[in-house]
Amino acid sequence: MSQPNMYIQAAEQLSIQQPLSQQWMSEPVLTDHLLTTAMAPNYRDFIDPREARRMGGLIKRALVTTLKVLRDTGIEHPDAFITGTSIGSLVYTERLLDALDESEEAISPTYFMQSPHNTVGSALAIFTHSHGYNTTYSHGACSFDWAVMDAWMQMRLGKIHTALVGGYEEMTQNCFELLQKAGYVGQPGMVPCAEMSMSMMLNTQCSDNCLCQLSGVAMGNLAYRERMRQQLAQMLEAAHLSTTGVSAVMTGKNGNPDNDACYDGIVADLLPDAPLLRYKHLFGENYTASAMGVYAAAHCLAQGRIPDCLHDNNRPARCIKPSAILLVNQMDQQEYSLMLLTKI
Amino acid sequence: MIEPIYITGAGVVSAIGVGKEQTLSALNAGTTGIGTMTYLDSCHRDIPVGEVKLSNDEMVQMLGVDNDPLFTRTALLGRLALREALDQAGLTRDRLTDVHLVSSTTVGGMDLREQNHAQEKTCDRLHALMGTHSCGNSTQMIAAQFGQFASLSTVSTACSSATNAVITGANMLRCGLADIVVVGGSECLSRFHLNGFNALMILDRQQCRPFDRDRAGLNLGEGAAYLVLESARSVEERGVTPLCRLAGYGNACDAFHQTASSPDGEGAYLAMSQALEMAGMKPGDIDYVNAHGTGTPNNDLSESQAIKRLFGSDIPPVSSTKSFTGHTTSASGTIEAVFCLLALQHHFLPVNLNWHNAMDDGIIPVIEPRQADLRNILSNAFGFGGNDSSLIFTIDHA
Repeated sequence: MSQPNMYIQAAEQLSIQQPLSQQWMSEPVLTDHLLTTAMAPNYRDFIDPREARRMGGLIKRALVTTLKVLRDTGIEHPDAFITGTSIGSLVYTERLLDALDESEEAISPTYFMQSPHNTVGSALAIFTHSHGYNTTYSHGACSFDWAVMDAWMQMRLGKIHTALVGGYEEMTQNCFELLQKAGYVGQPGMVPCAEMSMSMMLNTQCSDNCLCQLSGVAMGNLAYRERMRQQLAQMLEAAHLSTTGVSAVMTGKNGNPDNDACYDGIVADLLPDAPLLRYKHLFGENYTASAMGVYAAAHCLAQGRIPDCLHDNNRPARCIKPSAILLVNQMDQQEYSLMLLTKI
Repeated sequence: MIEPIYITGAGVVSAIGVGKEQTLSALNAGTTGIGTMTYLDSCHRDIPVGEVKLSNDEMVQMLGVDNDPLFTRTALLGRLALREALDQAGLTRDRLTDVHLVSSTTVGGMDLREQNHAQEKTCDRLHALMGTHSCGNSTQMIAAQFGQFASLSTVSTACSSATNAVITGANMLRCGLADIVVVGGSECLSRFHLNGFNALMILDRQQCRPFDRDRAGLNLGEGAAYLVLESARSVEERGVTPLCRLAGYGNACDAFHQTASSPDGEGAYLAMSQALEMAGMKPGDIDYVNAHGTGTPNNDLSESQAIKRLFGSDIPPVSSTKSFTGHTTSASGTIEAVFCLLALQHHFLPVNLNWHNAMDDGIIPVIEPRQADLRNILSNAFGFGGNDSSLIFTIDHA
């Protein structure tokens, strides 16, 4: 099987940070709120205001990051739209639930139409008139990672050459409070719970504007640690890298002791001496936060520098000029993903 | 043509039965499972539904597990179907090290959430867990009874979810990431989506009538089904006998409307065409089409157009088995895949119940039970947003 290289050609975000901008690298927005909303872009630059009024926040943000990436790459119709979202259209789902608590007699069809998880991915296709492959992964904190894996597989199979892959999540006060009781967010010392939208273009063709190479992706069950080590070894071999060639490991530490201890265990298993990076203190926690990690790592590799704000202060080792970043993501201390990004 | 992807196990639960045996008898006898609402607690008692004829307690007993207040109906249905699939493929607990699971759902744990939503402001941690149960949690809960799978994944593309889970699993095999992937979906009825579909005014107050001139919408159903996909290498190593093959698949987006299909069925046409191309087949090679055929005026017209575009004047036998089960939404793709498997193995054409009059410009489905030696079956599943997918199953007769 021929194995094409894969590149991240562009990646854009809406989050706590300045919209559609890499300003966070020099002037990060820091907040100590437990729950924060995404900073709004100028929607008019992308969507007709009349149309925008009919759209929910989740879809509007997904559309803006997607349209920015399509514009910047000049790719009007990517071969695939692959979406990761764990809770999907939460606002509409809760509106329908609220209405059901009142009565089953007067339900708005709009709430239901907008409620399935694939509303986002299909809205992107409808808006851009794209008939290509389209699917949605809703697998908790690995939703985005599976979306990347899908694109990776199909590129290896020669089925697609370009893929718009995204991670999109919104949050409501009600859901935040439930997740807080469940222990997922809002715990003492934790990063804020946040909304986020990140779209990126994967392309088998390298062009001048590509941010970095996607050199490997692997998923698995944390019960099988030996396989995880093998996956990393294979990934490094395919990228012609030794373990010391990995400039840094970027984890999803968020200040929650259980979560962070899990990452410590994985890093100790894989690359115990590598400098550590983190990103959730800048972009917040939510199920598709791993998309923000990929976004941040890709831009670091593109600019050839790692801003100080990304360094994990618990580790003295520093990486200034990155050439390869390993991203580690875990879900419920049961499942993991590994992604290797390398400079071009 | 692709390397063979074998199916070595299958499990199914729907309104027409628990397991392949009950399912086969009902399909052959033409007995629908759609009837009066019994288990779902909704004020819309007049709307027929395809319920699995088991209470949650009965399913817990059948599964032989201790009850857990966090069990969702979706998870219980999923476990029954997954257990049958794993058993048939001979995949015991100790083998799961190398077995991946790609499941799918949209409703997930909505049955529990909608019961407790009004009290969420003041609820305890247990009920908070019910309120935040996600599609991925649903997969974890289904898997937990059987051991530690090599990986878990969850697809959610509304009514084509299970079909897209099959596609993800197949790609994992073809990329060499796995030798065995169990794929499928599970979905219980909920007040949430019953009322949603009702608000869209696409629920038939009578038994649904796919492809009939007077069709007036769909009936909702529930259920689960899983298929064990296995590589040639693994089939040989384990010495198992394949039931049939997944010969091709296609996924395309209609890109037309959030809840309606395009008049020319573009997405459906593309999905079916891609599946044929991958299978290295011509339209004439297809012996039977298991249609999406929901019974809504829009879907059946759009799907008819797409089928006509693809097959021209030589349309193979077509039927919608949703007239037996109701529309089992996220699970329908693999529930109907198991029906296709049974049709291939037992040489019959599943009928389309409740059809009386031809629609203008529509296809005419199979209505009389017929023996038929089938080799290749095309199965469609189309979701909201135009997430359209098709699968082709092939049996290699000795």
